[in-house]
Amino acid sequence: MVKTIQLGSRLRYPITITKLYKEPNQPIKKKEALFQYSFKWKRTVGDNIRGETWEAEETTYADWSSPSDGELKSWKIRVGQEISRDQDCMVVKESCSHDVQFGGLCAICGKDMTEVNWAAESRDMDRAPINMVHDQTHLTVSETQAQKTENALQRRLLQHRKLSLVVDLDQTIIHACIDPTVGEWQKDPSNPNYPSVRNVKSFQLDDGPRGVANNCWYYIKMRPGLEDFLKKISTMYELHVYTMGTRAYAQNVARIVDPDKKLFGNRVISRDENGNMYAKSLQRLFPVSTKMVVIIDDRADVWPRNRPNLIKVSPYDFFKGIGDINSGFLPKQQGLLTPSAAATTNGGLARIAPAPSPDKEDSTTMEPPLEKALEEQEKTLEKQIKDRPLQALQEQQDKQDEAAERASATPENGNTESTTPPPPHHRHQVLQDDDRELAFLENHLTALHKSFFQAYEQNRLSQPSSSPSSLDTQSIPDVGSILTTLKAQALSGCKIVLSGIVPIGMDVYRSEIGLQVASFGAELRSSVTRDVTHLVVSSQRPRTKKVRQAIRYLPKIKIVNQDWLAACFSEWRVVEEGPYLIEGLEDAQKKLNEKVQDAEATETVSDADDTDSGNAPPGKKRILRLKSPPRVRFATAASTGNDEDEDEDEEDSDSGGDDEDEDEDMDEELEAFKPTDADGQLSPIDGLKTFNWGSADEELAEFLESGSDDEEEEEDEDDEDGDNANGDEEEEAPAQATTNITTTSSSYEKIPAAQGTAPSTKRKADDEEEEESHKRRKSLLGPGPSSLRNELKDEDVEATTAEVEAQAAHDDQDVQDADDLDKEFEELDEEALEADFLAMDDGDGDEAQGQQVDGDGTGNGGVSENG
Amino acid sequence: MFFLHNLERRVTLHPSYFGRNMHELVTTKLVKDVEGTCAGDYYIIAIMDAFDVSEGRILPGNGLAEFTVKYRAVVWRPFKGEVVDAIVFSINPHGFFCQAGPLSIFVSSHLMPEEIHFDPNATPPQFTNNADMVIEPGTHVRVKIGGLRTELGEMYAIGSINGDFLGCLQA
Repeated sequence: MVKTIQLGSRLRYPITITKLYKEPNQPIKKKEALFQYSFKWKRTVGDNIRGETWEAEETTYADWSSPSDGELKSWKIRVGQEISRDQDCMVVKESCSHDVQFGGLCAICGKDMTEVNWAAESRDMDRAPINMVHDQTHLTVSETQAQKTENALQRRLLQHRKLSLVVDLDQTIIHACIDPTVGEWQKDPSNPNYPSVRNVKSFQLDDGPRGVANNCWYYIKMRPGLEDFLKKISTMYELHVYTMGTRAYAQNVARIVDPDKKLFGNRVISRDENGNMYAKSLQRLFPVSTKMVVIIDDRADVWPRNRPNLIKVSPYDFFKGIGDINSGFLPKQQGLLTPSAAATTNGGLARIAPAPSPDKEDSTTMEPPLEKALEEQEKTLEKQIKDRPLQALQEQQDKQDEAAERASATPENGNTESTTPPPPHHRHQVLQDDDRELAFLENHLTALHKSFFQAYEQNRLSQPSSSPSSLDTQSIPDVGSILTTLKAQALSGCKIVLSGIVPIGMDVYRSEIGLQVASFGAELRSSVTRDVTHLVVSSQRPRTKKVRQAIRYLPKIKIVNQDWLAACFSEWRVVEEGPYLIEGLEDAQKKLNEKVQDAEATETVSDADDTDSGNAPPGKKRILRLKSPPRVRFATAASTGNDEDEDEDEEDSDSGGDDEDEDEDMDEELEAFKPTDADGQLSPIDGLKTFNWGSADEELAEFLESGSDDEEEEEDEDDEDGDNANGDEEEEAPAQATTNITTTSSSYEKIPAAQGTAPSTKRKADDEEEEESHKRRKSLLGPGPSSLRNELKDEDVEATTAEVEAQAAHDDQDVQDADDLDKEFEELDEEALEADFLAMDDGDGDEAQGQQVDGDGTGNGGVSENG
Repeated sequence: MFFLHNLERRVTLHPSYFGRNMHELVTTKLVKDVEGTCAGDYYIIAIMDAFDVSEGRILPGNGLAEFTVKYRAVVWRPFKGEVVDAIVFSINPHGFFCQAGPLSIFVSSHLMPEEIHFDPNATPPQFTNNADMVIEPGTHVRVKIGGLRTELGEMYAIGSINGDFLGCLQA
C-alpha cells in the first residue's frame, strides 16, 4: 500500500535538507536514517555568573529516521530545500499496512504493534481501531479493511435481497427468569400454570452468577409464534443477536431459539464483547454504514445513536413481574406504557416487582461503576431465587379465586352450604401466553423490506451504473429513513394528549412515550383543546383535570387508556378505540349536556368541598400539632438525650423539605404513579404521606437559626428537670399517636365523596391547611410563654369542641374516646410547657436562651409527626 | 516446542496444614497453582517432579510457612515459525481463530492461499477453496506461527496457512 509520509511536527523548523541517503525504489527500514537536515538555533554562551552572556547562532545537523518499513517510491523534498513547516516528504510503499490486528499483533506480518519508538509519531495500534467482529474483542481492523468487509456484506445481501436485522433477546423474542418456581410447575401437571410453562426451555450456565444464584436454572419462554416468525423473517433479513446478557447466556438462548444455527449462525454479540455496559451501538457491528440494518428491541433508550433504525417492540412479559433479568446494568426506564390491570386477565393482581423507585432512577444520569452494577445484578438475581415472585403471584391469585368463589357460592348455597361439599377448586393461572406482538412485527418487517427494495430498484434505474452487478453505495437507500417515513404514516392526523402517563417533572416531548408518539406521526399536545382527537389516560387514575376538560368535547375526542396507545404502537395504525374507552364518562357527559352551567357549578362546589373538608379537620389537626412537641422532646430526651438524635431529626426534616418542594409541583397526574391502596403493598414511605412536610420545613428553618448548640443544652436541662414528668408523658405518647389516626380517618369519612378525588389529594389539602394553621400558631407563640399558654389552651378547647361535634354524628363512643384523649393532650401540653418554664427558671442559662428553647420545642412538632 | 525445564517457586502453606505430610501438601499445592498456566512466554504443561523442597520458613506476621520448591516441568514455548496443529473455533470475514492447546491463534484471510475465500452463506460460515479445503469450527488445521506477543498470563499468536502442507488436515 502506497502511503505519503509527512515530516512530522517535532522538527525544529525551519530546516534545510542537506543530504538524501536513499534513492527511490530502495528498500527502507523502520528507524533507519533517510536524509540529513540542518537547522539553526540560538545558544546562550558566556559567563552567566558575571552576567556577560550573549546568544550565538549554531547550526546542527540531524538525521531523519523512517517511521515505517517498505520501499521508498519517491521524494517530495530535494537537497538544499528550506522547509518552514510540516509537509509531505516522501511516498513509501509499505510492506504491511497493519490493517488487521489481533491482541497487539499485526495479523498480516506478525509484528508487535504495541511497540512505541521515536521514529513514528503515532502508534501502529491506532491504525486498526475498529472492532467489528461479533465474538472477539481482541481483533481490530482498520477503516479501509472495515469498509471492504462491509461492502462485501452489502453486495452479498443485495444479491440475496436481504437486509440485516439486529435482534435483542430479553423481552423481545424471549422472556427469561431464574425463579425456581417455574421448574416446579413444569413437573406438576395439576398446577394451573402447567400448560403455560410446558414449553419453557431451561439451561444452566457454568460461568453464571456467583453466590446463591450460582448454578441456577435459566427458564426461557419463547414469544408465541417465534419459530414461524424467525423462519419467515430470515428469508428477508440476515439475523444478528445483540444482547446485554453474558456470552454464555446469549449462546445458550441462541441454541434454544435456533438449534440448527441456521438463523443466527455465529452472529451473536453479547455484553462481554459490546465494550459498553449501558448502550448498544450498531456501529459496533456495522462501523461504516448502517443503511441496511434494522433493529428490533424492547428498549429504545439503549440505542442512543441508532434510533432511526429501531423498531421498538412492546416488552414481552410472560413471567409476570420479573422484567429483564439482564438489565441490571442499564438505566432504569421511566414513563413506560404499563398495561392496565384490566387488560391483563389476571384482574387486579399486583405487580410483585417494585416499580422503579425514585432513587434508582438517578442512574440514568449517574452511571454506577461496573463493579457495583455487577453486584447489583447479582443481588437482583439472588432476590428472584429467594423471593420466588411467581409463586407469590400464584398464591395471591389463588386467594383471590377463593374469595371470589366464596362470594359467589354463599348466595347460591344459602343454608345448604354445610351439606353439599364445595365445588372443586378452580385455580386461575398466573402466566398467560397471549402475546400477539410478533405477528404485527412480521408485517412491519415485511413492509419495510418491500419498500426498501422498491426504493433500491428505483435508485438503480435512475442512476445507470456501469454494470448491473457492481455495487453502487449511492443507490442503496437508507433503511432508517424508510422506516421513519413508514412509521410516520401510522398515526398521522391524530392529535394526542397524554394525562397521567408521563411522570411529572419530565418533558413530555422528550419522554420515551412522547418520542414514540411523535415518531408515529401523531401530534402530541400538552393541553386539551377542541381539535384534539385522543386523550390517553392512565387507567389507574382516569379522573384527571384533563379528562374533565375533555368531557366537554366527548363525542369528538376519544378518551382511552394507555393500552390503546400500546396497541397503536405495536400495530402501526389507529386501533379501534372501542375496547379502550374509559367507562363511566358518558354519564358525566350527559350531565354536562343537560346542564352545562350546573355541571360547572357542581365542579366549583366540589372544589369548594375539597377546601371545606380541608378546613374542617384542621381543628383536630391543631390538637395533634400541639401535642406533638412534648412527645418528641421527651422521647429523645429520655431515650438518649445526646445530640446524635438531634442530628438525625435535623436530617429528616431536611430531606422532608426537599420532598415538599416536589409535592407542591406535583399535580394530579403524578397521583397515578403513587402506589394505590389496592396494591395492598406497604410502601416504606407510607408514613410520610400523612406527614406534614410544611411544618418540618419551617422547623428546619427555625432550627438553623437557633443553632444546634442550644438544642443540646435544652436536652440536658430537660433531662435533669423534667425527670418525673418524663415517665408519664412517654407512656401517653403512643396513645396519642393512635388518636392521630382515628381522628384523621374519621375526618375523611366526613368528606363528601363527590368529585371522586383520591384521598391523597384531600390529604394534601389537609396538609396545606395544617401548614397554615401552624404558621398562625407561630405568630401566636411570639409574645411570651404565659400568653402562649393561654392561647394554646383556648385553641385546644375550640378544637376539641369542633372535634366532638364532628364525631357526634358517627359514634358516641368515639366521641368519648376522642374527648378523653384530647383532655389528656391538654394536660400533657400544659405539662410540657411547664417543663419548659422549669428549664427556663432553674437552668443557669439566661432569658434569651429560654426563649430560644421554647421556640425550638414547638418547632419540633413537625418532626414528631414523623414517628 | 516442548522443553523439560527446571523451575523454582515459593509455595506458602497455611498453619492448619502443618504436619507430617507437609511436603506432599506442598507438592500438591504447587501442581494446583502452576500446571496449565502461562508463565510469561511459555506454558507450563505438566510438572514432572518436585526434586527439592526446602525447609519451611514461617512468614512473620501471618504464620504461613513458605517453602522454596525446585521442580521440573514440561513447558511449551511457541516460537515464531513453529508449525503447530490446531482446532478451529471461530470464523469471521477477516480470518479464523484456532486453538493449539492453550494458545489461541488468529489466521488472517491475508495469510491464506489465494484460492481460499470466505463463504458467509454457508451454515456455519466457512473458509473454502470450493474443493477439498473447508475450514469451519471444529476443523483441524496445521498452522505456522507468524508472530507472538505475551502479556501477563496471556499469549497472542498470529498464524498462517499459506505454505506447503499447511491448512486443513485430512482426518
